[in-house]
Amino acid sequence: MAKPTGNPINDHLLEIAAQNNISTIWDRFMEQEPHCGFGTLGVCCKICNLGPCRIDPFGEGAQKGACGADADTISARNLTRNAAAGAACHSDHGRTMAKTLLDTGKGIAKDYSIKDPEKLKKLAKEFGIKIENKNDLKIAEELGEAILKEFGQQEGELTLTKRAPKKQQEIWKKTNVNPRGIDIEIVQAMSRTHIGCDSEYKHVLEAAIRASLVDGWGGSMIATELSDILFGSPQPIRAEINLGVLKEDEVNVLLHGHEPVLSDIIVTASQDKEIQELVKKNGAKGINLSGICCTAAEVLMRHGVPMAGNFLQQELAIITGAVEAMVVDVQCVMPSLSEVAKSFHTKLISTSPKAKFVGMEHIEFHEKEALETAKKILRIAVENYKNRDRSKVNIPREKMTLVAGFTMENVFYNLGGSFRPSYRPLNDAIISGRIRGVAGVVGCDNPKNASGMCHADMVRELIKNDVLVVQTGCSSGACAKAGLLTPEAAFKFAGEGLKEICETVGIPPVLHTGSCVDNTRILTACCEMVKEGGIGNSIDELPVAGAAPEWMSEKAIAIGWYFVTSGIFVVIGTPLRVLGSKNVTNYICNEIEPIYGGKWAFEGDPIKAAHLMIAHIDKKREALKLKPMMYAKA
Amino acid sequence: MQYVIIGSSAAGINAVEAIRAKDKDSKIVVISDEKKPLYSRCLISYLLAGTIDEKKIWYRKDSFFKNNKVNAFLGIKAVEINAKKKEVLLDNKEKVVFDKLLVATGASPKLENIPGIDKAGVFPLRTIGHTAEIQSMLEKVKAVAVLGGGLIGLRAAYALKARGKDVSVFVKSGSILSQIVDKDAASLMQKRIEEKGIKIFTGVAAKEITGDRSAKGIALDNGLKHGCELVIIGKGVSPNIEIAGGSGIKTNWGILTNDSLETNVEGIFAAGDVSETNDIALGESSINAIWPAACEQGRIAGLNMAGEREIYEGSLAMNSIEFFGLPVISVGITKPKSDAYEEIVRKDAARNIYKKVVLKDGVVAGVTFVNSIENIGIIGSLIKNKTNIEGIKNIILEDYFDYGKIIPLIKKSKKGFREPEFKETILTL
Amino acid sequence: MKKIYCNIKKCLGCGSCEIACAVEHSKSKELNNTISESPLPIKRRKAEFVEEGVAISAGCQHCDNAACVTACMSGAMYKELKTGLTRHDRDKCVGCWMCIMSCPFGAITREKQEKQVVKCDLCPDRDKPACVEACPTRALSLGTFKEFKKLCNM
Repeated sequence: MAKPTGNPINDHLLEIAAQNNISTIWDRFMEQEPHCGFGTLGVCCKICNLGPCRIDPFGEGAQKGACGADADTISARNLTRNAAAGAACHSDHGRTMAKTLLDTGKGIAKDYSIKDPEKLKKLAKEFGIKIENKNDLKIAEELGEAILKEFGQQEGELTLTKRAPKKQQEIWKKTNVNPRGIDIEIVQAMSRTHIGCDSEYKHVLEAAIRASLVDGWGGSMIATELSDILFGSPQPIRAEINLGVLKEDEVNVLLHGHEPVLSDIIVTASQDKEIQELVKKNGAKGINLSGICCTAAEVLMRHGVPMAGNFLQQELAIITGAVEAMVVDVQCVMPSLSEVAKSFHTKLISTSPKAKFVGMEHIEFHEKEALETAKKILRIAVENYKNRDRSKVNIPREKMTLVAGFTMENVFYNLGGSFRPSYRPLNDAIISGRIRGVAGVVGCDNPKNASGMCHADMVRELIKNDVLVVQTGCSSGACAKAGLLTPEAAFKFAGEGLKEICETVGIPPVLHTGSCVDNTRILTACCEMVKEGGIGNSIDELPVAGAAPEWMSEKAIAIGWYFVTSGIFVVIGTPLRVLGSKNVTNYICNEIEPIYGGKWAFEGDPIKAAHLMIAHIDKKREALKLKPMMYAKA
Repeated sequence: MQYVIIGSSAAGINAVEAIRAKDKDSKIVVISDEKKPLYSRCLISYLLAGTIDEKKIWYRKDSFFKNNKVNAFLGIKAVEINAKKKEVLLDNKEKVVFDKLLVATGASPKLENIPGIDKAGVFPLRTIGHTAEIQSMLEKVKAVAVLGGGLIGLRAAYALKARGKDVSVFVKSGSILSQIVDKDAASLMQKRIEEKGIKIFTGVAAKEITGDRSAKGIALDNGLKHGCELVIIGKGVSPNIEIAGGSGIKTNWGILTNDSLETNVEGIFAAGDVSETNDIALGESSINAIWPAACEQGRIAGLNMAGEREIYEGSLAMNSIEFFGLPVISVGITKPKSDAYEEIVRKDAARNIYKKVVLKDGVVAGVTFVNSIENIGIIGSLIKNKTNIEGIKNIILEDYFDYGKIIPLIKKSKKGFREPEFKETILTL
Repeated sequence: MKKIYCNIKKCLGCGSCEIACAVEHSKSKELNNTISESPLPIKRRKAEFVEEGVAISAGCQHCDNAACVTACMSGAMYKELKTGLTRHDRDKCVGCWMCIMSCPFGAITREKQEKQVVKCDLCPDRDKPACVEACPTRALSLGTFKEFKKLCNM
């Protein structure tokens, strides 16, 4: 029996898994315990063939690798490569979106269209493209080209870094981390960390920072903006979450992975008449699309497609026995899925030329034949419906409603009669002491922490203390499952001041702002809050903080770095793998704060971590000489 | 069967336990000239220093004799052995008969024949009695003179410095610890000792202890005088072989024994500081008057007395000392006297480390480690097993030398490393 | 007598046993906190390179005729009659290092600040010794020699 996760839905399905001898993430995780101490502390180096080397963290054995690298160098290089890998994922995601935009503009990707022309024009202006006398497709083509150019840029700057307050931009220039282009920073993060290259740890970490900034102000931000342009800017929308969204009498198709070019078109394809008829012919009442991971968030916020579960629940979704097909593209897809699916009728379909899995049928997805491929995939799912073994079906009843789809443009849109989106109400709420500040609680779920439960614990503590919480990714899923993403949650859990604001504006105390690339919405929001004024002249002065209480992926490392070096305090649930080097740990947890205005903190207890964030926010409030909290308790 | 054991220190105690492990019923008599002999002799300088309290000095509990069904004659000296009659004569005129006899009378401090040696305030340091006597006069003592720069002398010096006294050590030879380590190793220890305030004078000896009834100072052979209220004699020990006089038991420097620890007289064995056995490194008969050797000899003598034949391979000179945080360990031959020996030395002055092995024909005969002492026991084992170390010569003194490095040698060894634990470690190789 | 055996055929010399041992013998017993303790805990088990491609995880062998017990002048090192294991009594230990001088396996280490020695104690607070649990290839096992031979198919 896998380590119990304390979540009744998960535990019930885990029992079924045990009965059927299906190993899950929790079983395999326990088999890995104790995890390698050298790796955990960041003092294992596998970069060259003089190794693999390890430093003895207890001081008795080797203190240097064969080449002479010490724990400082080794852990800094490892961390940099992690950040580069994470940034590479998001940069590829942005690249896909940019290519799709370009092909849409050119008329090659005919199944896509411009859904938010306003945003298209706004973004085009940012990239210096003249929009007069051009139709949307033409603007799209030119914008696509301009953006793709920044991927291959060798010198200069990234356009979107100009959104940041002047101070942040100056800091990046002064500290030699201002990105020159997207791909170059990731390539050089790899080349610099080759054996016998960059080894002074602070300098090595500059490469990590560059690669991460290229994620936050490059790849991810591009992905967010272009997804809004191609698929529509989200509006607040009600939806459902958890495995209970699976339906007994409909064809259940799970969308898993990250890039909405696939998931969004499948949503479109599912409404196709031919597909609908096929559904009826196969005896189902309809197609029930639902999602796992970030791609779920994308279609959740734009189309209200329900979210089946988080990263950790992907195997459990199959174990319900009710899934006809799971369609995946890239990142966070467990290679174990095919093993799990063997016991069920579920068909697994991989789609990305970058990701193949044993046991999955590969139907490669190209934007040029998007709709056709999407329909092909759905046909497979629909025709699999008749193979569902009713005796094996165990759809949990639990599901929760949530409100998702908050973007920085629409959060305060409907406030007080004003039809222009504005941050004034938010800034005023902060100034007046109704809202203490804003916290971004994001990231993955991890058995190392509490398989997702840390998120809700942390968020409840934050909103209790009048901190408005914005969320993305699996973190938002975890809190949604705990009922925190509804306006009603304000009455139940929020402090007085936050409650007031939520009531007035009609928002939940916890705002779902999208997928992991949409963490950049939080960055953009911070820029707007600064512009609006009164709560700081740069991001590092804002009363905000970030957290990833159960981080798992390398992408999380890149995201953390871009928040930290944009001036935001970030606390994570398990330490970065640097504790084997006191110098690197001290640098990233202390020394960089006066430089960038942000720093890392490691705290596994979600309540304690919440209070680190609250203390930080209070420190910023004090520095801004804001009014004391209106409904302050002791 | 009546076993009689003369002496109840390391050898005697271990003999009792070895006999009882094999023979639960036969009678055992132990005769000791000390009233309370079950203490660890090596710990008396710790007691004097105040590092340990009296509770910690006991090697075995008082119940030892009772639990092992031993008839103990304590505070009584054995004075003569009648080998023909198989009798031991005691100083209270009683006689004890034996079937098997173990002579474990130990050794006594050498007291030089210099004028004033009988004054009050002059002590060797060997027994708990000496410690008690020194204790009782310590309050009146300001300065101490230690005669002899060997283990006993330095231990006494350290202990008395710890008690706040002004301590000077007088060493006839050119360096302290000259019996056990070379000049280089000794000088590292001397430097540390002197840094901590113990004065060391080499190349000089006391020719007289001056004063009235009590010692008030010493006169040195270089003409100088040194005032002190306490004089400690640390000039080595000589084995207590007097008891063998007239018995027919062959002696040399000590009582001669074979590899069962039996003397030339059948049924009479000898073990501990009194017995002369094979020195494994020297390859000749010698006495290594050290605690581990006495324990092992006592144990093996006891087994052989009880009818279990176990071969005693011999002893090695072995010493471990630490003063003021600097440890020095030496095993075997550390100051070779002929060209037949080769020395490999590694010095790391920055870390105050000194390591040396002495080889003969590729076999380790001795080793000295200063400061970094871990793993020296592995080299000791190579000495005992007479292993040829040509293949590991260049790594044997490195920090990373460890047990794993000798495993190939163990695997290759035909006669050595017979203990089962060695075999267990290489079973899967 | 049950003690820890190492199957050299499966030992990768990775050092996981060392880390697990140190963590188990620390104050916090948790890796991330252990490494900031002062003093750092002392490992009683070492992953040792033998020759190319061969490594062994070595620690106290709890010898039948233990050299450390013979050499110990205070009686701190002793054989536990019931289990046959070699035990160390900290109350009696005076830090004379005679055991280190005698141990043919190099299994004993100084705890310098305390003037004590430490060696493998088979993790009395655990069901299974920490090193055995941590070994990723299951090279380490706890049992009798007979059980060990069976495990190795010998």
